[in-house]
Order: sequence, then C-alpha cells, then structure tokens
Amino acid sequence: MGYTDPSSSRDLLGNRTLFFIFICAFAVVTLLQQILYGRNYLKRYFEFYEGPLEYNSTKCLELRQDIIEVKVLSMVKQTELFDRWKSLQMCKWEMNVTEANLFKSTLSRCCNAPAFLFTTQKNTPLGTKLKYEVDTSGIFHINQEIFKMFPKDMPYHRSQFKKCAVVGNGGILKNSRCGREIDSADFVFRCNLPPISEKYFTDVGVKTDVVTVNPSIITERFHRLEKWRKPFYDVLQVYENASVLLPAFYNTRNTDVSIRVKYVLDDFESQQAVYYFHPQYLINVSRYWLGQGVRAKRISTGLILVTAALELCEEVHLFGFWAFPMNPSGIFITHHYYDNVKPRPGFHAMPSEIFNFLHMHSKGILRVHTGTCSCC
Amino acid sequence: MEECCDPGQLFAMTKLNSPMGKNLWFDGEFLYSVTIDNATYSLFPQATPFQLPLKKCSVVGNGGILKKSGCGKQIDQADFVMRCNLPPLSSEYSKDVGSKTQLVTANPSIIQKRFQNLLWSRKAFVDSVKVYNRSYIYMPAFSMKTGTGPSLRVYYTLEDFGAKQAVLFANPNFLRDIGKFWKSKGIHAKRLSTGLFLVSAALGLCEEVTIYGFWPFSVDLHGKFISHHYYDNVLPDSGFHAMPEEFLQLWFLHKSGVLRMQLEPCEDPLIQSSA
Repeated sequence: MGYTDPSSSRDLLGNRTLFFIFICAFAVVTLLQQILYGRNYLKRYFEFYEGPLEYNSTKCLELRQDIIEVKVLSMVKQTELFDRWKSLQMCKWEMNVTEANLFKSTLSRCCNAPAFLFTTQKNTPLGTKLKYEVDTSGIFHINQEIFKMFPKDMPYHRSQFKKCAVVGNGGILKNSRCGREIDSADFVFRCNLPPISEKYFTDVGVKTDVVTVNPSIITERFHRLEKWRKPFYDVLQVYENASVLLPAFYNTRNTDVSIRVKYVLDDFESQQAVYYFHPQYLINVSRYWLGQGVRAKRISTGLILVTAALELCEEVHLFGFWAFPMNPSGIFITHHYYDNVKPRPGFHAMPSEIFNFLHMHSKGILRVHTGTCSCC
Repeated sequence: MEECCDPGQLFAMTKLNSPMGKNLWFDGEFLYSVTIDNATYSLFPQATPFQLPLKKCSVVGNGGILKKSGCGKQIDQADFVMRCNLPPLSSEYSKDVGSKTQLVTANPSIIQKRFQNLLWSRKAFVDSVKVYNRSYIYMPAFSMKTGTGPSLRVYYTLEDFGAKQAVLFANPNFLRDIGKFWKSKGIHAKRLSTGLFLVSAALGLCEEVTIYGFWPFSVDLHGKFISHHYYDNVLPDSGFHAMPEEFLQLWFLHKSGVLRMQLEPCEDPLIQSSA
C-alpha cells in the first residue's frame, strides 16, 4: 500500500525526538535566564523601594563618578548619559561644602556678582563710557538721566539667601508638581517673562524675586513700548514685587526699550525695581563658561542667572533646566512648559550648558531637579 | 462754509468718513499718502461725537490781547469752548481765559518738544492735559509725515492711563478744503493757523460763534504794547503763517455779522474805573 510506508513513519519519529529535545533545551536555557535575570530584576526592584540611597554610600559615589567621568558631551551616547542620570536619581543629594566653596571662590574672582551683576551708581559713575557686550564699537555715555535710574549699590550681597531656586522654562516642568517646592525657596529667579498663571502654578509656582525680560519680547509683543504700554505693565504686575532685570547694554538695539521699561513702571507708580545687567559681568561670565566648554554665540539667560545665584545664595536649586527633546526616561517633552516654540538653531548651546549643570550636581555644587516633586 | 467743507461730517476722522483701506493724502506734504489699516481704523470714533448743531461757541486764540481782559467768565458761558495748542489754563489765567474746554487742539510739534514725542516718560503729559477735563484733543495726525507718530501716541497714552480726555484726529481732506477756501479769499501762507481752522470749523458746527484772543499785532487798540501770547512772548517763525491776512478776513466776517470778535476787555474793573 502506497500510504503505509514504515520507513517514512520511523524517520518521522526520529525527527520528532530531535525536535522535542531541542525544545526542551531551549526551555531550560530560557528558564535559567529568567531565574538569573529575574533575581537581578527583583533585587533592583527592592533597591528602588528601599527609598533614596544615602549620599555617601558607595553605590552613590559610583553613580556620581559615572557622570563626572564623562568629560565631554560627545564622549557618550545621549541615551547612555540619560541612563546614568536616571540611576543617580535614587541617591539623596547633599551639598558638598568644600566643592561648592571652591567653585564660588572661582566665580568671585572671575565675575563677582555681588558687586557687578547690575549697573549701579557705585560701579558705573556719572560720565562713564559704558562698553556694550557685543557691539564692541558701541559706547553708551552715562548721563544724569540714566544715572538716576541705577540703584545706589547692589541690592544683594554675597550668600545673602539660604536657598534659591532658578526656574528655567523647560518642558520638563510640565506636570512636575514642583510649584510648592519652588515657592518654598528664599529667593526665586525666573527667565524671560514666563507665564505663572493658574494653569501652571502647581508645576512652576508663583513666587518671583527677579524676572528677566528679553528686549526682543518687548519689541515683538509690545511694539517697543511705543504704542500702548498698559498691556506690558499688566504682564509685569503678575510678578507682584519682583525686580525686573534687562540686558540693556548687551547691544545697542536693547538700550532704548530697556530704559523705556523703567519709565513705564515709574509712570504707573509701580513699586517694582528695574535693574540692568552690567555688560562687563556678562562678558566675564561668558568667558568663564567658554573655558568650561560652553561654545555658543551667546550663553542663555538661565546660565547667567545660575552663575549669579551661586554667588548670592548658599544653596542653588535648578528647575526646568533640561534642553533635550525627551525627559531622562525617554518620553518626548515640549520645548517650554507653556509652548513648543523651538529657538533659533545655533544661538545657544543648551545641551552643553545642561551637561555642565549635571556635572555640578554630581559634585554637590548645586541641585538639578528633573523629576516630579514629592512634596504635597 | 458748510457748502465748501461740511464740518459736521468731515471735521474729524471717523469710521463713517474714513473706511478701512481708504487712501489718505496728507494735506501738509507733497504727494504723500497713507492707507488706513485695521489698527488705525480702530482708533476712530464711529461718527463726529458732538450733538450737532452746537449752540453758543467760544473759540479762544492765544493772543496777548487776552491778558487782563477779564473775559474768562464770558468765555465759559458758551456751550462749547475751543482752544488752540494746549494753552496753559492755570488759576493765574482763568480770570482772563476761562477754564472750560470741550475741544483743544494739539500740535505734534509740541508733543515732540515738550514731551519727547512720548517715547520716554509719559506721566508729565497726562498730568498736563488734566486741566482740560473731559475734552477732546484734536490732532492733525495726517497732515505732516512727522506728526502721525506723536499723534497716535497721544491716543495710546491717554487710553493707557484711562484719562478723561479723548483724541480726535483731524481729517486731512477737511483741512485741505478749508485751506483752498481761504486761499480763494486771498490768504497766502504756507499753511493756515490752527486758529483759523478752528474758527472755520466752529462756523460750520455752531449757531453762534464768538472769538477771543485773535489779534496778531504787538500793540492793542489803545496803542499799548502787548505780548505775543497771553502766557509768553515767544514769537513764531516768520513766513509760516500769514496772521495779519487771516485777521483781516476774520474782521470782515465780524463786520458782516457772521461771528462776533471780542477785542476789548470784557469787564475789567480797572479799565472801567480809569475810563
């Protein structure tokens, strides 16, 4: 009979046995793997729930070293850096007083914010020919009218504030619920007239002691203050008694609009103070960071504020400083917490700035917050 | 006057007479025009905001003849008082020039000189126009190129401060028509004075017009020297306005009874007692 071929049946049986053995072997290997990695996974799981590790534990020292080891940003893949940063999050942060003081004394030699952050009557006497930061040929002659606008002396002194928060506008702040923690700081810096309305305050807080204004915003959104001025005044009023800080002497285009801000606040009898960055301070800060590898046309306002805060405060906390398209866990985020308008490419070197902050965090000089806040 | 220029409709820029997209030729420039865009259009009132016709009007020039005239009370008795070029109205003058104002003109050059074009501090300006109370500030925004910016800024400033005064922009077509009308009557000047524009407008808007302080000579009717303005003696640039010719035309109007011109002091007890 054609369809009962014993030899073929036997052959099939042999094949089956082989197949069975193969499957068994595979199962055993997978099982072993599962057991090994599973234990590891479980161990990790437990570690995570043991709560944050002590700052000085060997594990944390290792994790911090992992980040400090990365000397330049291009040395590792971005995802690798993110992973190291993410692992470091299980460690408690503590300030390393020696490192911090060392860094602060470097800053006081190069930049000296407590004396030169703003133009004051003391550091910019009447008749000074003030050099602009970028328009090197431009010189602004300090006349009586402008001189009167300057404060007598710097309103802040070295390490005046215990805990400062510098709030960047990164999309990482969205849904962070860090508002209360930011507001608990003794002094809060914010950049570029950010919105702090009800919609955002659980994430970003409302307390503001210094807010910077980029003159380009005044030019674009408020017609250089040549038309209506009340809308601009109303925007500033949201920050209550915060001082308004402008780079009036960055380039010649900024000066008129920046000076107008002072007139607007005076005309409406506002209590808010107006200060101008001293161009020499900006030059010194840029030079310092260039030495640290921040190569950009211009360093960001955030970096300038952080640099100033390090001299004016004992402890500096950074919120919303994260310039990557995804958060450390790899989830995509918007550029700002309030919109997704990308900046001009090639103007700022944000990733390089952030990288420096991560380094400083690992050394215990300042603290970078990138996760959600646990308080409340 | 109504026939030539229709002040009731064309006196000021309104949404009715200047629709969006309309091309406006500046009356003080040679071949220069501006197209009304959405932003400018929104600054205009719907229509001329007066209850027409106005009954008794006083038009107050700034001539030195008003000094010690005691005409303040008489000026204020009118229903509608028009003044020229943001004149001072402080208490030392109110006896002679009154204190009521419904419409005051402002020359962009004053905004430029006294208030730095309103580009810097603006409070001084807002404070200085408080004396005019709830009046309209009439600005020739579309006459000279350089006048547009300051005139619009006056509008922005007053709105920002929630001031009582409102801005009306002069209609260049109206100003041009008035200019042509007087040219045909024989006034040869680069430009008519604000005073004559105002008197012309008043003649079209009011039933009864009395004018004060229009006297462009350095001596008064009794041969006494007087200052150029009632508040100062700054003489104008020569050759710009033709004041004596304008005065002559107004004198003819006075003679024919179209308006009443007040040259003598109104009720000064000092003069009366000496007479």
